[in-house]
Parts: sequence; C-alpha cells; structure tokens
Amino acid sequence: MRNMVSDAPRTTLTAFYWAFILYLLLPLTLMMAMSFKDANFVAFPIGDWTLDWYAKVMQDKQFLEACLYSIMIAAGSTLAATTLGTWIAMLIVADGIRGRTIIFALACLPAVVPGMISAISLRIFISTIDMPTGTMAIILGHTVHAVPFVVVMALTRLRSMPGNLVDAARDLGADGIVAFFRVTLPYLGPALFGGMIFCVLLSIDDFVRTFFLGGYRPTLPMLIFAKVQGGMSPEINAMATIVLVVTAAVGLYAEFITRRARTR
Amino acid sequence: MVNSNTLAGDAAGRGAPIPKYSTGIAQIVNSALYRHTLGAAVESRIGRILLLAGVPVIWLIMLHVGPIYQMLKISLLSHYPIQPGVESHFTLANYAIFFRESLYFTPLIKSFVFATAATAVTLVVVYPVAYYVAKIVKPEGRSKALLLLLVPFWAGELIRTFSVIMLLANRGAVNVLLREIGLIDRPIPMLYTSFSLGFGLVYLICLYMLLPLYSAIEKIPSQYLDAAADLGAGPFTRFRRIILPLSKDGIVSGCSLVFLTCIGVFATPMLLGGPNTVLFPETISGFFHGASDKWPVGAAFALIMLVTALITAGIFMRLVGGKKGSAF
Repeated sequence: MRNMVSDAPRTTLTAFYWAFILYLLLPLTLMMAMSFKDANFVAFPIGDWTLDWYAKVMQDKQFLEACLYSIMIAAGSTLAATTLGTWIAMLIVADGIRGRTIIFALACLPAVVPGMISAISLRIFISTIDMPTGTMAIILGHTVHAVPFVVVMALTRLRSMPGNLVDAARDLGADGIVAFFRVTLPYLGPALFGGMIFCVLLSIDDFVRTFFLGGYRPTLPMLIFAKVQGGMSPEINAMATIVLVVTAAVGLYAEFITRRARTR
Repeated sequence: MVNSNTLAGDAAGRGAPIPKYSTGIAQIVNSALYRHTLGAAVESRIGRILLLAGVPVIWLIMLHVGPIYQMLKISLLSHYPIQPGVESHFTLANYAIFFRESLYFTPLIKSFVFATAATAVTLVVVYPVAYYVAKIVKPEGRSKALLLLLVPFWAGELIRTFSVIMLLANRGAVNVLLREIGLIDRPIPMLYTSFSLGFGLVYLICLYMLLPLYSAIEKIPSQYLDAAADLGAGPFTRFRRIILPLSKDGIVSGCSLVFLTCIGVFATPMLLGGPNTVLFPETISGFFHGASDKWPVGAAFALIMLVTALITAGIFMRLVGGKKGSAF
C-alpha cells in the first residue's frame, strides 16, 4: 500500500517528462516533415511526399554561399574565442593575482548582457573605432559573445587539475610557456574541444549580432529570416532541416567526445 | 640548425640546464628567436605578468567594457554619427524622450510582461522535468535523459521559432487537427498574437532553465528525502520543506538567465508577434536603421532596458536567493 502511494508521483513525473519531450520535439518534427511536401505552400495535411525541395536547396547558390560564409565566421570566431577564453582563464587561476573576482565578472559580462543590447553596443563600438560593418565585425561580435563560455569551461577544468603537474614540469626545466603548452593545454584539451564546438554552434545560430554588424552578405540565420519574412515555402523547411541535422550531428559528436574523455 | 646548436652549446657552457625536448616545441624553445624574446620575458617578473595579463586585460577592457561605455557616451550626445556641419553636444534629452512618449514606454512594459510571464511558465513547466531527471532517473540513465532534452537546443533560435509557425499557423498542425476531429470549423488565429509569441518564447528558452535547475536538484542528497519520508513527511511536504529550499540557487540562476535572455530576444517577436506585440528590441532597432542621427536615442533606450533588466534580475536574486547575487 505504501509503495503505491510513493509510486504515484513517480509515474506522474515520468509521464510529464515524456510529454515534455514530445512538446520539445513535435514542432521540429513537423517542420522536418513539411520539407517533404509536394506542393509549393506550407499547410497540413502533407498529402504527397517528394524530395524535390532538397534538390532545389542543394542547387541554391545563395544557400550554399550562406553556408560557407557562416562556417567561415564560425571558424574565425571560435579560434579567437578559444584562445582569448583560455588566456583569461589562465590569468584568473594564476598565483598572486589581485582582483580575480573583478576579472571573472568582466569576463562573464557579455553573457549577462541581453543579446539585443550587446549587438547595439557592438554596432556603436565598431563605428567609434571606424571599423566597417561586415565579416570582421561579425567575427568580433561572435567572439565577444563566445568568450565567457570558454572561460567558464576552461576554469572548471583548470580547477580540477592537480597543481603538482605544472610544478613537476617546472622542476624539470620547463619555463612557464613550455609548461603551459606541454602540460596545461593537453590537460585542458577535452574541455576546450567541448568549448569550441559550443562556440561554433553559438556563432552559426546567432542572428541579432549578425543583423546589426553584418553587411549585405547573408549568413545562414539571416537567409532563413529573410525567406521566412518573404513568404512560406517548403523550401525553407528543407533548408532548416539540413541545418538542423548537421548542427545536431556536430553537437552529438561533441557530446560523445567529451563524455569519452571524462570517463577515461 | 647549426645556429641553434651553437646557441644551445653556449648556454650549456654557462651552466644553464638544457632540457631535451623531442617535439616541435623543442625546436621553437631552443631557437634563438624564442630565447631572445619570449624565453627572456618569462625569466623576469614583469615579463611574466605582461605575458599572462596583457592580452586578457586589454581584451576585457576594450571589448567587454568598451562597447557598453561607448554606448553610454553616445547616449549623452545630441548627434551621432557626427555629420559635417553639425555640432554634437552633451545632452540628457535622449533619455527624456523615453519618459515623454507612451509610444516608447509601452513596448518596454510589454517586453517586461512577456519576459516575466515566460520565465514563470518556464520555471513551473521545467521544474518537474529537472526533478525527474535528477532524482528519479537512475544515475546510469541520467545523461541519456538529459541528452534527449538537449536535442532541440542544437536547432538554433531561428529554426525553433520557424518550427513553432508549423504548429500554430492557420493551416498548421493544431488547427488542422482540431478541424479534423470537428472541434472547430474555422481555424483559430493563433499566429501573430500574444499567445504565439509567449508560446515561442517558452519553447525557445526552456532549456536555459533546465540545466541550472538540474544541477541544483542533483546536489540534494537523497538521504535527506529518505529521512524525511521515514519521519512521515508526504511527497508534498518533502518537496516544500526540502527540495524547494535546497534548489533555490538553481531557481535563481535559471530564472535570471531566462529573464535576461527573453528581454534581449530580437528575431522571435518579429516572426511570431503581430502589430500588437511590438517589443522593446524592435523599437530600439528602428533608431539604427532609419535616419542615421537617431543613434543616441537608440543608445539611451538600450541602456534604459539594460539597467531596468539588471535591476529586476538583481531584486529577484535578493528576494529569492536571500544572499549576494551569486547566480552567475
């Protein structure tokens, strides 16, 4: 009898969890299903199925160019954010540093400032330093956005690092720089890899910063935004499905790699 | 090659220990260029400090603080970008505009109402899910249960917003389904209303709530719950007296994160909202796209939004968290 009583919340919660999963996945599933609709308007029921929209998207020069452009921006901002984030994290954990809390707070600032305000302030900033809008400005904006996440991920890993590893390297004659590249950096590896994938996804996903910092060349989110505003067509669904599948595969792969590194 | 050998030989002659590296780093470390620049720098205290702190400090001041500072500066100017023949002077008028016109006041209020409502709904909906994964799923299955929740997260803001349209449009899944089973005979207009915007916001941000809640609930020792159960506390009492107070940190950081994200969402209201749901980011954006000397007003409005949002989040942390704002 007692078991039955304590089982009731458990069953309810299990049901609630699956209902929530359904809620999360249903819109995306519908979105993907619509990409196979054999008609040039978006409406349920789907009726006839086709792969034509995918063929169309794969030949769409605008889409392919936007993909390349997004990947380029993601690569640039990820590289910069990982370097800077690690560097800031090293500064925060260094011995005898005063104002650690302030440095950490400053490092996290862009993650707390709402996206829209961050975008506006960066737009003003690049204009005060006479930087034109365009690729470099977008990369800069995405880097500022991503740095806090790298700092937090690197710090978490650095705090679990036995201090005597670096001491041992120093005793064996390595100077600070060599010890960093040969001991600390490899130790940080898995965390940084996870951080880098996160940066890539952040950058590819970003709309508001790109909207204010970009020029006329559209990134993927800008292209999708323009198409959605321009009118619905299953072509957008096919485009979004491709992007979703690729980013999810990258995310899953990163999850798999970091998990394997953790259990090792 | 010869050059680096002689240099190494000289150093050895002076008695400095030369570590034997066998990788590419060795060649760099033993090269003359390295020894005279970075190698020499790390030997001195000032050099070490510069190497470690130089780039991070410049970056943080220039790009984490700089943009906000420039925004503040420009919000106090009468004209920007400065055009030839126009004198720009210090003024507070840009802030005054906001308080004079309800046209601008209303979108800010709407932004706050939507963000607060979305935060509250998200908290109530996500809490049981976080609790389920943290306490009821067995430890082996936890990461799988979490992973399943994270899948939509990889889709990105625009794609998730777009997928909500599939659900709520006049010929979207919900309306077609309701019509099929005969509950309605004409579609309920759900898209481009407050409802679709609220729904979309919750769908967009619920996962920001999940992770802080999950990590807070997971830390609560299960023995506490067992002990309370042995002493006769029912599920509701256990929740109210143990789980809720002990997961307070997660609630505070989850709610702050969701609230601040919601306030700054730009694309979702433009795609899911209608003429009645113009939120503050869209209002601000107008000052940067139309006539070009309206930037100071936009900057002032952005600062008004930033300050009110941070104060709201701060008050919330004080009230619920009870201690210093440790949420971030």
